[in-house]
Amino acid sequence: MLISIRGLHRVYQVGDQEVRALDGVDLDIAQNEYVAIMGPSGSGKSTLMNILGCLDTPSTGSYRLKDLEIAKMSDDELARIRNQEIGFVFQTFNLLPRADALHNVELPLVYAGMRHEERRARAREALALVGLADRMKHRPNELSGGQRQRVAIARALVNRPSIILADEPTGNLDSKTGEEIMIAFENIWKQGNTVILVTHEPDIADHARRVVRMKDGRVEDDRVNPNPRSAAAAAATPPA
Amino acid sequence: MNLRESVGIALSGIRANKLRSFLTLLGTIIGVASVISVVSFVEGMNRYVTDKILNAGANVFQVDKYGLVMSREAFDIANRRPDVTLDDADALRAGMVSATLVVPMTESRAVLRFRNKTMKGVNVHGRGAGYDVVDDIAIKDGRHLSDFDDRQRRPVCVIGPEVAEELFENVDPVGREIRVGGQNFEVVGLTVAKGKLMGQSQDRFVTIPVQTFMKMFMERGSLAIAVKSIDEASLPLAQQEARNILRGLRHQRPGQPDAFGITTSDTFLQLYHAVTGGLFVVTIGVAAISLLVGGIVIMNIMLVSVTERTREIGIRKALGAKRRDIMTQFLVESTTLSLSGGLIGIVLGGGLALLVGAISPLPAALSLPAVLMGILMSTGVGVFFGSYPAVRAARLDPIEALRYE
Repeated sequence: MLISIRGLHRVYQVGDQEVRALDGVDLDIAQNEYVAIMGPSGSGKSTLMNILGCLDTPSTGSYRLKDLEIAKMSDDELARIRNQEIGFVFQTFNLLPRADALHNVELPLVYAGMRHEERRARAREALALVGLADRMKHRPNELSGGQRQRVAIARALVNRPSIILADEPTGNLDSKTGEEIMIAFENIWKQGNTVILVTHEPDIADHARRVVRMKDGRVEDDRVNPNPRSAAAAAATPPA
Repeated sequence: MNLRESVGIALSGIRANKLRSFLTLLGTIIGVASVISVVSFVEGMNRYVTDKILNAGANVFQVDKYGLVMSREAFDIANRRPDVTLDDADALRAGMVSATLVVPMTESRAVLRFRNKTMKGVNVHGRGAGYDVVDDIAIKDGRHLSDFDDRQRRPVCVIGPEVAEELFENVDPVGREIRVGGQNFEVVGLTVAKGKLMGQSQDRFVTIPVQTFMKMFMERGSLAIAVKSIDEASLPLAQQEARNILRGLRHQRPGQPDAFGITTSDTFLQLYHAVTGGLFVVTIGVAAISLLVGGIVIMNIMLVSVTERTREIGIRKALGAKRRDIMTQFLVESTTLSLSGGLIGIVLGGGLALLVGAISPLPAALSLPAVLMGILMSTGVGVFFGSYPAVRAARLDPIEALRYE
């Protein structure tokens, strides 16, 4: 199993009140799954995403990624796991504004300690894969929202991580561009990657092959999506 | 790691906001510039002192009536001492074992005249044999003064190149008659040019035999006697010998202070070091304060930069930057910043030193150690004052940082 979560709790101290953001989560995700994690705000899905992305560690419980126990890791070990195993795609893109597309995509490889020439080659390859071969020298403010998000996807893919973790990836995009991005995710998944989508939009979650619903810090529902929406088909359908 | 990137970020930041960067770096610039300029001056002076004073007068000490007088009272006491005379010089020459040369010396100023040309305020040196070594002068045309000239009190002279140029122009001076202070002298030699020393020409002089000098210009009066010891090791011994002989001649009892002065190049060197040492202390004070202020300003700017770029730090951490990576990035930035200030300071301080050296008699030399020191100091400021902001950046929580608006 790629991801194995058992009895996960995450408790925050807000003032003198304890907030149990995660209250006993069990979850397994296998290699090359396409999973959507859904839930209203306050359901704990963001906290779960932070822990899945190794940005945060649980208060108690176990999180094993590729048989490595993440829960007890130090900051620097977590940084290394994020670099090697996780590819983030954020709602707000989170590109470095002063760097061009190529440089943004290169960044994870910089921290992986890869040599300059190899880095360049890999970043070009990743940008070509998301259809931005002709936009490498553009800065984020010279790109459209969809293009920015595709740069972010290229950045997430460039170090060949175990998980692509996308947090509301279409939240800042219009629906047409959003569909384009969903096509990109579909393709990534078909190439053998594991994709985890965190979203509160049922339309977006509907693309995934499995949907996990969160409520009050627990997994409320976890089922296979019987009729996943084909992104390509949806894009072809004219808007009503 | 991504050193080039960090340096690039820092440099583009400096370029993007020139005025702010200049103000940020002002303290560092002033600190480094003041150190560089003062060190350059002191270095120039040192070179000058070792070149001109020490080498010319190697193993030489001087006996005269006054010694090194530093106060009015000391002068009054010294003024009551007996004169130093040619007899003293003869006694030293006869009695000293550790001396190779004993040269009586005296000087004054006089008007020179050749045909219808006059030259005022020329140094007239009265010198005994051996003056060429002690004064470090060489003959270009003609000959040196001889012992015979001295004993016969002949009216002959050796002139410096500046005198030759002004009085004789295109005429060959050797063999000509000139008037020195109203007396006729034959020019027997012309010396090699020595250039300027502390802005003073070393080539504007006329040297005559010391006994001729005494006969014509100074029946009574005190001489100075330059004594050269055999080598450096025998210098203290030579001084002791001279002291014993002179005390004997003056019938001084043990315990009485010397009724004459002995000065060595060390005496001047001590004075020189006292002056430059004081200068150094003041400079270090100014530099330390400027660098402290400069460092605090840099720290402040870096803290602003860390806050402004919280989100960037979050992104970098999410992509796998370790604490050390973030810390390095900000340290490189602060160091690039302060080093830029240091380089500007070096250029400014060095330029100032060279400018003053060019338009004034003060010598100045931009030295490699001073430049290295400037680089080291500014780097140190960047690392020291950049480390707190860098640590703050490195410790940011990635989730908080990513959420930062």
